[in-house]
Amino acid sequence: MMKKLAWMAAIALMMVALVAAGPAAAKSLVLAVDDSPRMMNPHGDDSDAGLSYMANFFDGLLQRKGEAGKLTPALAVKWEHPDALSWKFYLRKGVKFHNDNPFTAADVKFSFERLGNPEVSEFLNTGKQIASIDVIDDYTVVFKTKEPIPWFANNMHQVFIMDKESTEARDPGDVMIKPIGTGAYKLEEWVKGSYVRLTANEDYWEGAPPIKNVEIRPITEASTRFAALASGKVEIVTGIPVELYEPVLKNPKLEVVSRPARRSIFLALGNKTGSPMADIRVRKAMYMAINEDEIIEKIMRGHAAPAAQIPDVPTVGYNPDLTRLPYDPAMAKKLLAEAGYPDGFTVTLTGPNDRYVQDEKICEAVAKYLAKIGIKVNLDVKPKSIFFPEVAEGTLEFYLIGWFDGTYDMGRTYFKLAHSRDADQGFGGLNGTNYSNAALDKLLESTAKIIDPDKRSQTLQRLNKMAMEDLIVWIPLHYQEDLYAIQKGKGIKFDPRPDRWMVFKEIDR
Amino acid sequence: MLTYIIRRLLQGVVVLLAVSLICFVIFRYMGDPVLTLAGRYATQEQIQEVRKSLGLDQPTYVQYVKFLWNAAHGNFGKSYVSRVPALGLILERFPATFELATCAILISLVFGVGFGVLVALRPYAWHSRAIMAGSLGGISMPTFLTGILLIMIFAVYVGILPPFGRGKTVEVGFWRTGLLTVDGIRHLILPAITLSTYQLAVLLRLTRAGMREVMAEEYIKTAWAKGLSPMTVIVKHALRNVLIPVVTMAGLQFGELIAFAIVTETIFQWPGMGNLLLTSIYETDQPVIVTYIMMAAVIIISINILVDIFYAVLNPKIRYD
Repeated sequence: MMKKLAWMAAIALMMVALVAAGPAAAKSLVLAVDDSPRMMNPHGDDSDAGLSYMANFFDGLLQRKGEAGKLTPALAVKWEHPDALSWKFYLRKGVKFHNDNPFTAADVKFSFERLGNPEVSEFLNTGKQIASIDVIDDYTVVFKTKEPIPWFANNMHQVFIMDKESTEARDPGDVMIKPIGTGAYKLEEWVKGSYVRLTANEDYWEGAPPIKNVEIRPITEASTRFAALASGKVEIVTGIPVELYEPVLKNPKLEVVSRPARRSIFLALGNKTGSPMADIRVRKAMYMAINEDEIIEKIMRGHAAPAAQIPDVPTVGYNPDLTRLPYDPAMAKKLLAEAGYPDGFTVTLTGPNDRYVQDEKICEAVAKYLAKIGIKVNLDVKPKSIFFPEVAEGTLEFYLIGWFDGTYDMGRTYFKLAHSRDADQGFGGLNGTNYSNAALDKLLESTAKIIDPDKRSQTLQRLNKMAMEDLIVWIPLHYQEDLYAIQKGKGIKFDPRPDRWMVFKEIDR
Repeated sequence: MLTYIIRRLLQGVVVLLAVSLICFVIFRYMGDPVLTLAGRYATQEQIQEVRKSLGLDQPTYVQYVKFLWNAAHGNFGKSYVSRVPALGLILERFPATFELATCAILISLVFGVGFGVLVALRPYAWHSRAIMAGSLGGISMPTFLTGILLIMIFAVYVGILPPFGRGKTVEVGFWRTGLLTVDGIRHLILPAITLSTYQLAVLLRLTRAGMREVMAEEYIKTAWAKGLSPMTVIVKHALRNVLIPVVTMAGLQFGELIAFAIVTETIFQWPGMGNLLLTSIYETDQPVIVTYIMMAAVIIISINILVDIFYAVLNPKIRYD
């Protein structure tokens, strides 16, 4: 008996020794996301879903970190804005691309020039704004823009730098499927529709990332994504729809991680002369008729925060003094009567049905609320592929849309969404109702020339107040919330980013 | 026979032309891809530049003729979304769909015909009634429901089969197959069953109806009277005659399974062509959609021709002149 025990103890000891002597298992992560990558060309897809993949293979001159998306150095160590048109970037030394080519100013010039080529880029707007790129030396670059663009540097976290030599030498088709960047991860294998496998870049300039192998499984169908998590096949899942929130919460093995999203959802109203909505009292009445708290509670199931403006807190131009108009249907009715519409009027509400969380349901609710004060709403809800071209045409009357600005600068958003349509100057391209207000346009144009960030921020706040209180350009509804789910008890340290990008160097376990 | 095949091929070309024309006209109204491609902040001028670079500023008939000309040379254009040749994108996904559809059609043939015969021989037995009730369920249950139920039962609650994807695959030349690994086959089971349910029920009902009719025929009575074994009577004399419509149906279904396994592929995140088609529709990726539909038409037309030929093999009485 004793002998047997001794033997067993000896074997157990040996096993412990063997395990301890072996190399510590490399950390790895398997996750399911709601969007497939379209390509591995960092300039060809400006959607956040695409940029999220690219941010792991490539670096920008700058990067955004933390809850407020603070702009911090990446491939550039610092930057200056000497005059309204110039931007000077000092580059990081000793950085290497995945193919061991050194990173220099020539790569920066090449990458930014590439932005202007519609064959490979969806960042045409950024590319075409640049008048010249001067390489002072291998580690100093000066950009000159055609017009003053106050938010030029704010965009630097989403313009990724490619290797000039290998991008030019390779076949264009190969560039679309094999990323060669300076990023924290290298692409190991991409099987379209199945998975993307990443391995750590041990020579990364910020230090090798803690997780060595990442497997991303794009699963578009939400219930399958949930099943993948529930069955333990993946450890993190992005994009939990509100209707699946309860089942995830009930499952003891899973944990929900939520993060207020940057995107706000709002209603855009036209102001064509002679139409009821040209009267500010009507706009106010429509605003006050909508019970946003109920929308958040019933339709968003609590996963949204009421909005009083379009930009979110970290955005330049966010005005903390703005508050929502109260929900007051009686007052709304009175305002309508004062404006000369005691019996209401008829309006068409257009919106997408496959773009935002519960978009179609929100449109239906808005129609219902407006009906209560006598406004008859014709609903015209359609797929985004048809809806957005209509917004671009500017022929709509009243529509639901969502927005957040990747540069964290409200000025750019306002030029695109609220400035009077002006094809020559490229203003108001997504001003879908053809809204027009001369005072707003003038104040907005004046902000583009202000270099001092504090002064500019104040002016933008003033502009924001004017748009939301005096003009009611839009009726703000709510900020969305991003929902993720993870396996509980696996030690995953995951703090979602406000832009929804999955940047794996920031995840540990 | 040869003239017949040539005539069918010519008809096929006409059908393809018609399909391509309809596709082209419909997708003109399906949304404007240029807007996304130019980027969110593009100005009107930049949008026009992109439109021009894609040749979308030209009138539809010019675009159509250009498309036909290029297609005739094997060039179906580049995907707007991933900016690589559309045909390559689709062919890359073909093996996954082909393997799934083949397994599904084999399951439905084996079980459909098997159960069909069983039910026809003893129509009033309790197992026959159960099978018929099940087949009614198979016909009426929507694919996405079958899929989700199977996932919930076998992947989440019981946990013996994987819920999504293709598992481990092996590349044999250009063909990425999941049939050579245990993991790959385990991943195939649920989607193949889901995809086969409807077809299985249809084949079952077809076989049953045919068998019941044939079993009452005089020549079957003769065969019984001659004292042939039940196996010979049922399989050789009865089933062979019943199989003609069944094979036609299975053939047609096979084409459809390859071309339109969209729902099943989406639910199981099966990396096949249907999955690609759905994403492409969401993204208004016209070159991929048009190429896909053209390819689906080619597959269905060729399978129809093959079925016709097979017909003659099964039933020597049929002649094509």
